[in-house]
Amino acid sequence: MGSSASQAAIDAEDVHVTYDDGTEAVQGVSLNVDKGEFFGFLGPNGAGKTTTIKTLVTLLSPTQGSVRINGYDTKTDPQAVRESIGYMAQETSIDFELTPRENLRIACQMYGVPRDEREERIEDLLELVDLRDVADKRAETFSGGMQKRLDTATVLVHRPPVVFLDEPTTGLDPEARLRVWNYFEKINDRGTTVFLTTQYLEEANELCDRLAILQDCQITHTGTPDELKSAIGTDTATLSLKDPSDQKRRQAVHVVRQLDALKAATIEQTAEGLIIEADNVRSAVGDLFTELAAADITITDFDVQSPTLDDVFLTLAGGSEIEENGIATETATVQEVTR
Amino acid sequence: MSGVTDESGIESDSATRASGNGSLTDARISFKRWLVKTSRNPYVTFTSLVQPIIFFVLMAEVLGAIAGGAISQSVSSGVSYVTYLTPAIIIQSALAAAAVSGIGLVDDMETGMFDKTLISPMHRSAMFVGKMLSEVVRITVQTGIILVLGYLLLSVKSGASVDHYLQTGLFGVVGIFVVAIVFGGVFMAYSNIVALVTRDREATVMIANLLTFPLLFISSAFLPLEVLPGWIQAVAVVNPITYGVDGIRALMLGQDVMSVFEVTAFTGFWNTVIPAVGVLLAFNVVLGAIAVGLLKRASKAEVQ
Repeated sequence: MGSSASQAAIDAEDVHVTYDDGTEAVQGVSLNVDKGEFFGFLGPNGAGKTTTIKTLVTLLSPTQGSVRINGYDTKTDPQAVRESIGYMAQETSIDFELTPRENLRIACQMYGVPRDEREERIEDLLELVDLRDVADKRAETFSGGMQKRLDTATVLVHRPPVVFLDEPTTGLDPEARLRVWNYFEKINDRGTTVFLTTQYLEEANELCDRLAILQDCQITHTGTPDELKSAIGTDTATLSLKDPSDQKRRQAVHVVRQLDALKAATIEQTAEGLIIEADNVRSAVGDLFTELAAADITITDFDVQSPTLDDVFLTLAGGSEIEENGIATETATVQEVTR
Repeated sequence: MSGVTDESGIESDSATRASGNGSLTDARISFKRWLVKTSRNPYVTFTSLVQPIIFFVLMAEVLGAIAGGAISQSVSSGVSYVTYLTPAIIIQSALAAAAVSGIGLVDDMETGMFDKTLISPMHRSAMFVGKMLSEVVRITVQTGIILVLGYLLLSVKSGASVDHYLQTGLFGVVGIFVVAIVFGGVFMAYSNIVALVTRDREATVMIANLLTFPLLFISSAFLPLEVLPGWIQAVAVVNPITYGVDGIRALMLGQDVMSVFEVTAFTGFWNTVIPAVGVLLAFNVVLGAIAVGLLKRASKAEVQ
């Protein structure tokens, strides 16, 4: 582990978690999250996301392997880890009988935020999560989204360098979800490392710098959302020509082949025009259009499709194994629509 | 702490570590939290105060109309049923407060507040000490209210003086609070055991309610045990309510009223108060140890 480990916000080495009843909920997870990163932990229900996050925040102890958070070992120095993190559970963990201001005040006290800084921080956080107007109303009267936002604020009172969010948007309506995303991005912009678990591909794609995909208690893939997408497929461009005659099509193929970026492309001729498959069609679109125009070829329709995280997930999941959970069904529907 | 000040935004965000508190401060934070939460819950006030008060008045009127003979046989003549009943109502209200203690714990587990506290730098024992203290305050306040109410009832009915109502004076008042609190501890522990075993709000409430009334009746609370059926006398021996009621009753009447066994090692009411508190403390130790054990298991990982 050495000196590089102390630089990482989260450093997990070969973590295994076996419950008392013998269930091996996590089997050899290794993670390295840099300071300031927005890291996503993506996986279907039951893949071991919550067990992993609970191990990272010291609620569970790894049966095997080690975890260092902010440079501190969770087994030998749990107190230092606890002082370095904020953790938002799946459930909304606030005192519903209390107001946002009271909830935040208690959180400040729990973390020993100095008295003279409390009020300022509370105001700052109320502002951040947009609850200033209702700061003195009891939280039990709030919508789910508002309660979740208050929960977010309470885990930030001590300005933790690392924040763990366990499926923070499950159960929120789309608008509330967008809003919460916005706050997470703001937190990350402040320099906080964010570790988020989610079963929503869209969420991971939108928010995360890097992702790990967890399946059957193991990490199967790690990378940026783009890397994961390109790992499983290429862009597909569909061109319709005004005059899709054999001659024009051959001419168009020739033009495409001339472009450096599309040298290795797979080109298929169709009744309407061409289908080009390559890694970087998008970046070559400008040149392609210029050259086609120069060759006097008119395009009537053009469309590029890139693989989505849904495709990644579906490819990785290999279909039937996880069919009973939400994601597979969701992705399948998306796939059908795309076709 | 690190030399970075908090005003500087990003740098401080990645450099600070929360400082945490001493365990006394932690206990105080938890204590205040529970006190406010309890005070905002009208249901709680109702079950642990309004209900016993209604019960007090009704029992005093109904049972009081016929209980005179039994009481003058058991204790001494001239003791009003109101005075006799006051300890039972104090215990009933303490029981109602203590028996729902576990609900807070289950709620915290269900909302994730329990985990949230566990991963905070707070001292674990301090957070439970704070919770228990808030219950103690509740019991103290309720006991005070019922003591005053009992006196008012008595003076309305018979115009009796404070001396007559409370034979052992100011010392007795302090003693009554002590007995009520020690008694409360038994059922706080019990309720938290139920909460930790079931991890279910409904079950915890149900078991609390199921217990409250029947246990009161199979004790020396409302009538002298001598006039009650044999099986009730038998169960009353192992019922903590008997000891709570007898302890307080001895302090109010200033005489030995222990109803389940005879102690003569001390003098006067001490022959009741000392063994009663002793038995209650024993209940506290046993149930408390079980609760703490379960709590430790719940706060620790369920991993190998």
